[in-house]
Amino acid sequence: MQEIMDANPYALEDGSHIAVIGGGPTGSFFSIFAMKMAKMIGEELNITIFEPKDFTKDGPGGCNRCGGVISELLVQTLAVEGINLPDSVVQKGINSYKLHTTNGSVSIGTPLFEKTIATVYRGVGPKGIMGKDKESFDNFLLNLAVKEGALHMPLRIDHVEYRNQKPVLFAKNKKIRDFDLVIGTFGVNSTAVKVFEGLGFGYKSPAITTAAIAEIGLDRDMISEYFGNSIHLFLLPIKDIKFAAMIPKGTYVTLCMLGKNVTAHMVNALLDHHVVKKVLPENYEINCRCLPKMNIGAPKVPFTDRIVMCGDAGSTRLFKDGLGAAYIMGKAAAKTAVFQGVSKEHFHKYYYPFYKSIIIDNYFGRFLYAMTEIYRKNKLLCKGMLNVVQKEQQNVHDRKRLSTIMWDIFTGNERYKNIFFRSLSLKMNIDLLKEFAKLSVRFY
Amino acid sequence: MTGINTECSFTNELIISNQGAIMKEGELGRVYSDGEIIFKEGETGNVMYVLQSGKVKITKKTASENITLAILESGEIFGEMALFDRLPRSATATALGNTRVLHIDKKKLFSTISRDPTLVFKVIETMSQRIRRLDEELTKVKKKKIDILHLSIDVDELCNLILEEARNVIASDNGSIMLFDDNRKLLSIKAAFGAESEPKTKLTIGKGIAGDVLKTGRAELVNNVTMDPRFIPGAMNVKSVLCVPLRYKGHNFGVINMSNSSEKLFTIDHLKLLHSLATYASFAMQNARNFSNLKIATDEVIRHATMLDML
Ligand SMILES: Cc1cc2nc3c(=O)[nH]c(=O)nc-3n(C[C@H](O)[C@H](O)[C@H](O)COP(=O)(O)OP(=O)(O)OC[C@H]3O[C@@H](n4cnc5c(N)ncnc54)[C@H](O)[C@@H]3O)c2cc1C
Repeated sequence: MQEIMDANPYALEDGSHIAVIGGGPTGSFFSIFAMKMAKMIGEELNITIFEPKDFTKDGPGGCNRCGGVISELLVQTLAVEGINLPDSVVQKGINSYKLHTTNGSVSIGTPLFEKTIATVYRGVGPKGIMGKDKESFDNFLLNLAVKEGALHMPLRIDHVEYRNQKPVLFAKNKKIRDFDLVIGTFGVNSTAVKVFEGLGFGYKSPAITTAAIAEIGLDRDMISEYFGNSIHLFLLPIKDIKFAAMIPKGTYVTLCMLGKNVTAHMVNALLDHHVVKKVLPENYEINCRCLPKMNIGAPKVPFTDRIVMCGDAGSTRLFKDGLGAAYIMGKAAAKTAVFQGVSKEHFHKYYYPFYKSIIIDNYFGRFLYAMTEIYRKNKLLCKGMLNVVQKEQQNVHDRKRLSTIMWDIFTGNERYKNIFFRSLSLKMNIDLLKEFAKLSVRFY
Repeated sequence: MTGINTECSFTNELIISNQGAIMKEGELGRVYSDGEIIFKEGETGNVMYVLQSGKVKITKKTASENITLAILESGEIFGEMALFDRLPRSATATALGNTRVLHIDKKKLFSTISRDPTLVFKVIETMSQRIRRLDEELTKVKKKKIDILHLSIDVDELCNLILEEARNVIASDNGSIMLFDDNRKLLSIKAAFGAESEPKTKLTIGKGIAGDVLKTGRAELVNNVTMDPRFIPGAMNVKSVLCVPLRYKGHNFGVINMSNSSEKLFTIDHLKLLHSLATYASFAMQNARNFSNLKIATDEVIRHATMLDML
């Protein structure tokens, strides 16, 4: 009797049915970890991943539009998890970043120039890509989830409703079945947002902005010559563009632009900038362009009983390392579901702290990007910053505070909160002030 | 990545590391060439490694040689011990052929683990697999040691080894092996530990518990020795005794004694255990005896031959 009274009606059991809506990185990470964790406690879950996209296709049809940079932290953490990215998935191993401003350029590399950052395609690559010998990152993860025992169904979910306190899914107006748990991992570029808003538990679409991606087609040798194993970043005084990155991959360089509702026109403005022209060879072709949406503000209510939103459909890291957030949040949802339960209360107690910590961290991120904006727009500050980094590098014993802060902001390798506190370093700020003072004397 | 090691270049030149030349475009990590040492035994370790491709040999130095502990394959984690127990590296890791490795910085790893402790699931899995492997190795080593008993040719050395094995499996205060000398018709101690190390003790067949076991060939457990009429009280204080015969082809040629001076009692399981060890030891002992008999005989022949030559 006691046992029955204490039983958790929201606990997953052997054979429970879970629906994952969206087989992007978040959906696959959730499935991989939920399957693994359930096996640890001797349970077998029935996980179905609904994903209509075919990630083995080239062009936009098989692509989840992103810069495709896998941060050093994520590469390393996945390796510890036993998920080693094979060279068939990685387009290029990266060991350094090069920052370009109107006042000069600076490179920052990993210790011993170890290649710890990966560039990938989310689909096979731009339409018509030559030699489809590489696998897409999303396909790689989806296959891992299937290997762990999840089922992939190429269906787009278009309706959800509650029946007998369980969510029931529909595709093409046909009922699929009821589920013990539904994970919304459909990202921000999906109409599924509306479907879940319609359920009335308080979920609202994440705040979004428009970003831009363009694939610049180049010769492999040319990419090696012009880009090496570096991601090139641009902090240029172009209105409404926060920063741009050129990410080398095989026979393309992915140009990724973030800012305030970026347009196709702004892409051209950037490519015409004299600093960018110096980096790119004279002749190149733009093979693919898109203006994807980007999550810049998490919904307040991301869960209810038996439903939880995850990844870009929930909270993600601001401007950086969305794939790292997909891993963290997918795993946090898996841990909660498998080890605790799937009620609103369970998600609030065990999942929400992770969700909230990303939101709080993004406040620090906003502050850091606001600071970067000030440096980007002000010639003197920008020059001073480059000079301090240069000095740090010339002194082998220097702790290279500013260099690592910049590295961590660019690579998304560290939580914004930690970068923020490191940016308060007295020594670094004195160095910066000294530099600004010297430069102002010269300027005026 | 920590700031301390960050490297930077200011030229407009692109950085192309030496590593780049030997790595494919999509390969991550760092390449070590054949024979290159990744870390050395005794060094402090701040990095853990994940093998991406190739093989790594883990070796440990002993007084006389380098012992290979393991050959690691792609996907395996290594160098994690020094991170968790904060002791110097317990072994040396060397690349076997061109080997690609991803370095995981300790500070970053621990900070990630502090946020998500389940990250160590995989490390624990690796470590427990290694403990399992070590257990198997240990069993093999123990078995090898017993095999050595088979091959051993010096009777005294063999008695010591057998007694050591007996002591490993049955905790007792004292122990001895007594062999019967066919010429002198006496049981005498060949190896002993604890209070039974009185080498002069000699018994005839049927005398004392050991003499009786030799005579009957029955293994015995006596937990209240002073009440046993066969017991011959000596200088030492003994309360309980295990005594099993050493027997070959129906002929008893010695006994193994284990005894407690304290209140500890032996159980029937102890008796069974010692009895099976004795069966095993009997074969080994007989081999040794035959061999030493042969050796004595050969030595004798050689001695005679040499003397003939000298005449
Ligand atoms: C311009 C840009 C550049 C970026 N660059 C990087 C970067 O370099 N590195 C990085 O780490 N992050 C980057 N990000 C962020 C990263 O792309 C996202 O954080 C990440 O893709 C989130 O993964 P997800 O699985 O939550 O969503 P998504 O990747 O969007 O996947 C959602 C999946 O759900 C499927 N789906 C949608 N609706 C339905 C439905 N109704 N039924 C079934 N399936 C459905 C879709 O087909 C899709 O496959 C970038 C983002 C943008 C916009």
